[in-house]
Amino acid sequence: MPEGTLCNKSPIQTDETLKTLLSDTGGKQYYDEMKSLEVDIPLLWTTIQKTCKSRIRTWLKICAHCGMCADSCFLYRINDQDPKQVPAYKIQSTLGEIIRKKGKVDNAFMHMAMETAWAKCTCCNRCGLYCPHGIDMGIMFGYLRGLLYQQGFVPWELKIGAGMHRVYQAQMDVTDEDFVETFIWMAEEYEEDYPGLKVPVDKVGADIMYTVNAREVKHYPEDLAEAAILFHLAGENWTITSRGWEQTSLAMFAGDWEACKIQVESVYEAMERLKPKRMVGTECGHAHRATVVEGPYWAGRKDGLPPAESIHYVEWLAEALRTGKLKIDPKKRIKEPVTLQDSCNYVRNHGLKEITREIMSYIVEPGYFIDMSPNREHNYCCGGGGGFNGIGLYREQRNKALLTKRDQILNTGAKLVLAPCHNCWDAIRDLEEEYRIGIRWSFLKPLLIDMLEIPEHLKAQE
Amino acid sequence: MFKKILFATSATEACDHAARVAFDMAQRYNAHIDVFHVLGIPSRGYSQVVVDVKTGDEVALDDNYRDLVKEEIRTYYDHQIAKTKNWSIDVAIGLPHREILRIARLMKPDMIVMGGSTGASGSYAHKKIVTGSTFQRVAKAAHCPVLVINRPAGSFWGGFSNVVFGTDFSNAADTAFEFAFKLVKELNCDFHIFHALDITGFQMNNLHTQDYIEDQIQKAGRQLRFKYISKMENFKDYAMEVWEGIPFVEIVKYAREKHADLIVMAYNTKKTDEKDASIGSVAEQVILRANCPVISINRSVGK
Repeated sequence: MPEGTLCNKSPIQTDETLKTLLSDTGGKQYYDEMKSLEVDIPLLWTTIQKTCKSRIRTWLKICAHCGMCADSCFLYRINDQDPKQVPAYKIQSTLGEIIRKKGKVDNAFMHMAMETAWAKCTCCNRCGLYCPHGIDMGIMFGYLRGLLYQQGFVPWELKIGAGMHRVYQAQMDVTDEDFVETFIWMAEEYEEDYPGLKVPVDKVGADIMYTVNAREVKHYPEDLAEAAILFHLAGENWTITSRGWEQTSLAMFAGDWEACKIQVESVYEAMERLKPKRMVGTECGHAHRATVVEGPYWAGRKDGLPPAESIHYVEWLAEALRTGKLKIDPKKRIKEPVTLQDSCNYVRNHGLKEITREIMSYIVEPGYFIDMSPNREHNYCCGGGGGFNGIGLYREQRNKALLTKRDQILNTGAKLVLAPCHNCWDAIRDLEEEYRIGIRWSFLKPLLIDMLEIPEHLKAQE
Repeated sequence: MFKKILFATSATEACDHAARVAFDMAQRYNAHIDVFHVLGIPSRGYSQVVVDVKTGDEVALDDNYRDLVKEEIRTYYDHQIAKTKNWSIDVAIGLPHREILRIARLMKPDMIVMGGSTGASGSYAHKKIVTGSTFQRVAKAAHCPVLVINRPAGSFWGGFSNVVFGTDFSNAADTAFEFAFKLVKELNCDFHIFHALDITGFQMNNLHTQDYIEDQIQKAGRQLRFKYISKMENFKDYAMEVWEGIPFVEIVKYAREKHADLIVMAYNTKKTDEKDASIGSVAEQVILRANCPVISINRSVGK
């Protein structure tokens, strides 16, 4: 069977096909069909010829097989130093092999490549930091995922996730109306506690346009309320957009390049329409990477930048605390051992390592902040990055991958872990559920709200 | 007064007493009852996996599973449903308090009915991240009265006829009074308006003289009359009392003495995290201890 009804090379384009795929619980039929999915060799090779540019070709060629990348990879370390987990081996035996064979690979090979691309690499890019040649296997795995997606060899959940972006311009089935209504609901719910709390929608020329992760709308709307409260207390001139509000991109995890472009262009269109001075995104790592770091290239923007200056939530928060827009009550600072998860996507890959520590200096009583080891750009992936968290087929491997973070946290002795990244938050949640080490974990927003000195004129009157 | 009842249930024994009251209300007042159950907490990132709130197991969510759970709930309440004209069953995934509030916003019920703490519900991780109980969060934000039955409702024989309204004279208590008065008028109940004078200061070595306490009781009595009598127009079946003591204990004792089948109170706690909430709200303590249903009303009700 060259193409299955569920597992095939066609991207999800309609809500109906999305629902059909969703109804295949756990992807049972989908993965069954994948066993017979034919590789379109001419398409594969043509795509490589058109898209595999000199950087990747050079990287594949100059790799000296020195093995320096081995110890940099947390998956190599946690899997008993299995040589098949050495980053150079992983990429050479998949992407390298496809190119060497001019695309002449079969179904079994593609299955192996799929597992390698999604269960043996989280695209955390740590190996790139340690390679003497600066070869970044994470970047190449991102590229390999694109080739695999085009051929239909992609985990079920990510085919759905990419489809969500195509149908809803959001990673979940949340419509624009749902988003605006939920945000307004949240402001209403908290306006008694914070008089004057409002959510401006589609305000042109605001200082800040705020973008989110659809999961906040669907499952954790308190996060939206907290963002609104903090902007309100800081006296910001801010807005949300009724279209183009989703900052994340499961399409990026899936390797669905077209959907990546559709998604990020929806956010850029909002920036062009509302002309904010800046965009601030929520506490999410990959959303920042997708919309701020890689997005401009997907959208073909010559300057490599989004249409408006775009910053991560931690940058806004640090600035608000630094300039006194938000003031911490020193009595309410964290007075227990606390550690911080560095998100690969905005720390290693976008240099925000000191910003989060600046925030710690404001919110943690001196002496209570304990860094993990290693940290900053050397920190390890949470164990669930790059889409790993959500893939049922590789859950066992993912759970094992959490051990690195578990031990890093245990070594700090802290019982509270701050994780200003959705993906890391999820992974740390799951590791507590799997291994029960007795920790609590949190985004920054809910903790901050309880620590602030609220200006007299913004206090609730009883 | 009760046309639409949202009965939020874990579909376990913890909600059996609440079910008895909820279905009794639906049958007695010819209301529509929506039996609402949050079956799972989202888990494993963006995946379709949820942690079943009853079993703690990981479940791959699909329509079949939803239907199965609905059927299970229908069977669980089979006897009550057989006697009820208008009913429906809805299930959802998410954090229970949030999904209860979400459906309440959508269906605008006249009342949310909930059971007491299930203790065992929710996954391990869920319990760790969501501090405070589902009730606290629903009670804080609901736009309609929330009726909770935590203990066996011993003095509830069906319908309401003997209602205690506990007041602390706050703004929220004014809203609660409006609701309680409407209820007693429409259902022709005896109405007991009660204030408990808080003298717990003695624990902080702040010991008042008996003269002072009695003075305060007189004062509170005057306040009760000033605040509420004019609002009750020609309604005569009311009594007013002020007792001193630990407020939640006095309210529970008073309700017991009056054989109340319902207590109405304001819900005044702003914070919903554990450490504050455990001592924060008189209403919560009353709910835990009363042997009749308790309706809590926050500032947002009716807005």
